[in-house]
Amino acid sequence: MRTPFGVALALATALALSFLILPIVAIFVDIPPGQLLDGMNDPAAVDALVVTLKTTLVANALIILVGTPAAYLIATHAFRAKPLLVTAVELPLVLPPAVAGIGLLAAFGRFGLLGGTLDVVGLSIPFTQLAVVFAVMFVAGPFYIRAAISAFESVDPALTGAARTLGAGPGRTFFRIALPLASGGLGAGWALCFARGIGEFGATIMFAGSLQGVTQTLSLAVYEQFDVAFDVALAIGAELVIISAFILLAVKLVPTWTRSTSPSTTLFAPTASR
Amino acid sequence: MRRGLAVGALLLVAVAALAGFQTGRDAGPATVYAAASLTDVFPKVSPSSRYQFAASNQLALQISRGAPADVFASASPAYTQQLFRDGRVEKPRTFATNSLVLAVPRSNPAKIRSVYDVAKRPKLKLVVAGENVPIGLYTREVLRRLALLRVLRKAVSHEPDVKGIVGKLALGEADAGFVYATDVRSASSRLVAIRLPKRSQPTVRYEAAVVKGAGNRESALEFVADLLSTDGRRELERAGFGLP
Amino acid sequence: MDTLDLALDHPLRSYRLSLDVSLGRETLALVGPSGAGKSSVLRAIAGLLRPERGRVALGEAVWLDTEAGVELPPERRSVGLVFQEYALFPHLDVRRNVGFGGREKVDELLERFRISQLAGARPGDLSGGERQRVALARALARDPAVLLLDEPLSALDAHTRAIVRGELAELLDDLGLPTLLVTHDFEDAAALADRVGVIVDGQVLQLGAAADLLAAPADAFVASFTGANLLHGNARPGLDGLTEVVLDDATVAYSTDEGGGRVGLAVYPWEIALARGEAADSAVNHIRGEVRSLVPLGNRVRVRVGPLTAEITAASAERLDLREGERVVASFKATAARLVPLS
Repeated sequence: MRTPFGVALALATALALSFLILPIVAIFVDIPPGQLLDGMNDPAAVDALVVTLKTTLVANALIILVGTPAAYLIATHAFRAKPLLVTAVELPLVLPPAVAGIGLLAAFGRFGLLGGTLDVVGLSIPFTQLAVVFAVMFVAGPFYIRAAISAFESVDPALTGAARTLGAGPGRTFFRIALPLASGGLGAGWALCFARGIGEFGATIMFAGSLQGVTQTLSLAVYEQFDVAFDVALAIGAELVIISAFILLAVKLVPTWTRSTSPSTTLFAPTASR
Repeated sequence: MRRGLAVGALLLVAVAALAGFQTGRDAGPATVYAAASLTDVFPKVSPSSRYQFAASNQLALQISRGAPADVFASASPAYTQQLFRDGRVEKPRTFATNSLVLAVPRSNPAKIRSVYDVAKRPKLKLVVAGENVPIGLYTREVLRRLALLRVLRKAVSHEPDVKGIVGKLALGEADAGFVYATDVRSASSRLVAIRLPKRSQPTVRYEAAVVKGAGNRESALEFVADLLSTDGRRELERAGFGLP
Repeated sequence: MDTLDLALDHPLRSYRLSLDVSLGRETLALVGPSGAGKSSVLRAIAGLLRPERGRVALGEAVWLDTEAGVELPPERRSVGLVFQEYALFPHLDVRRNVGFGGREKVDELLERFRISQLAGARPGDLSGGERQRVALARALARDPAVLLLDEPLSALDAHTRAIVRGELAELLDDLGLPTLLVTHDFEDAAALADRVGVIVDGQVLQLGAAADLLAAPADAFVASFTGANLLHGNARPGLDGLTEVVLDDATVAYSTDEGGGRVGLAVYPWEIALARGEAADSAVNHIRGEVRSLVPLGNRVRVRVGPLTAEITAASAERLDLREGERVVASFKATAARLVPLS
């Protein structure tokens, strides 16, 4: 590390890390910790936390439960419309959040495509907690599904084929072989999905509005508290950081098999790592 | 040796670029931070100025924390006066007034005829703004004068600025909302305005102030002058604002 | 044990795979260059590939019949398939790998393949030979009625390969199952199988015992594939009932086979003798040439002389003191000169 090149590398790393870490640390030290904790106890902050936890949990659970089998099907079958299908799944990713919100209204709003049908069933989605769940699923779901497709595609088909010849039906093959081997990629994809979901603002405010205790998530609350009580805004920001850090770390602990699904090794192939 | 030179040159360019990004405080057009309700009319008053539209309370906060605005135009005197007291802006000038209306979507799904209907309907999707946003302040003022504050319980959303309220009404998702008369003017095809009782109208006064230490003080003063000029006042009147 | 009946007709990348074969309690090897469609055959039997047309049946049990619309999924067919790269489950230890198809016989199989001590190891920690044994054990755990082996020896290094070949031959004998194995190496096929089928571009050129293929290769490809030297020439009836072949380099050779017109003359390396001059022996074919290379192979030496490759004992090579660049005479009998049609 003594060469000029080594020094340059170290310098670059130091710069990058400090730049990324500084704003996050600043959130926690800008005001005294006592004030920060008081901010977290503010009713607006507490309500926002509850709303976020509830909606994030439901949204992510649905994304995983529905998205995983869908991704598996898309990944393991070749059909002519496949590129089109994958593009359709990825489309919400490139939409500006406000446009996503408009789309959701156009589909599920009072005068939207399904508005009439929903009305008949007595279901009105905009301005409800369900709307928040919808918004999160729409903007964050594609991150997971796209990563899941990739993860399942990278599972050596010889392995799933072997499982079938050993008597495992398609279901058992999925649960015992494909899922464990794809878990690294699934986890990484979900982390991204979670991050996008918890930071979601534009589509939520457009489709669900912002009402404390009902639809005001942590992200929306920060925005409102920003000029009302800056301490509370900081506290909410700190909560977001803590939750995100917790999830990101938890995902890292899922054993990763993504790099070496082929059991044949060369001298340089990586062995399964944690 | 050559590689080191290349890296050095790259760094120099990067630094220069960053410096260029720094404040944008070259002598040039004024940067105007203005209330959301001025979005349509200000560019007509001064096409060459650069604008940032948002809720006045947010803009006030940003300016107090050093945002590079040359002029601040607020929908409520509260914010300009506070910044003036804090020494962040020069003496504010009133340049327009506005009034509030109750707006409903063109299709009027809740069949609202007057503000009292809002109180009468059991299930209503009312959209208001947060109490720190000028339109939110004014709305509560109106309701207080009519002794109808309980109507706020019907709110399904507290929007961060008036444009959010207008948007939800225009899309037909909300049943009713309180907006400025000028907003209905600009979204006339999708909104219907319902007059509020005269006695309930709050004083909606717009103030503009030059930000102290502005990089383009010349342009800033020019902008305020434009605002108060005959041409400027005509544009404001055409947009539906009242003139002081 | 039932007979496995196999009939396939399936388009592959640049040719059609067409096969019609039956095997009883024997090992049949399909040999051919890579990409000849051999792996597809195994996949079709296992149910991992649906051929355009075909029928796969084990005795009375029909696994696939495209005409009758019958297609059993892989898990309902009684096959044991050993993949080329073994396809061991990397996230399961050896015991769980072997027991994936059924747990009753695990210990017995671990014992039989001498891998009991590896039961807790992960596939990533094993050597090539060990992995092959795990793969075999795993394939047999379900007591399959048919065994399918995809290039069983190609993933092994040369040394391990020789050992494993012997062990595998013994195992296949012991098991007595209808076994279909595919390989690109004729020697492996000859060592492991009762019958060998040479398959090229989707077509079986010749099917029979290895010795038969050597004695009478059906065409030039089979001949060269089984290791013969192949010379080109024009044949016409000659004296004494022999066929005279004028080779392209103008040398004249003789064969006891019948033939006319353009032919290939195939002679195996181990049928060629080398000498410094023309010996007065019964061999009628003598080809003079320059020693181009000498490659020792254990107790033998492969010598390239002119257009031919001869295989002689190392001792003989010593005795003759062969050097590169020297002119020698390669001799072989007319009975060893096989005439094959040129494809």
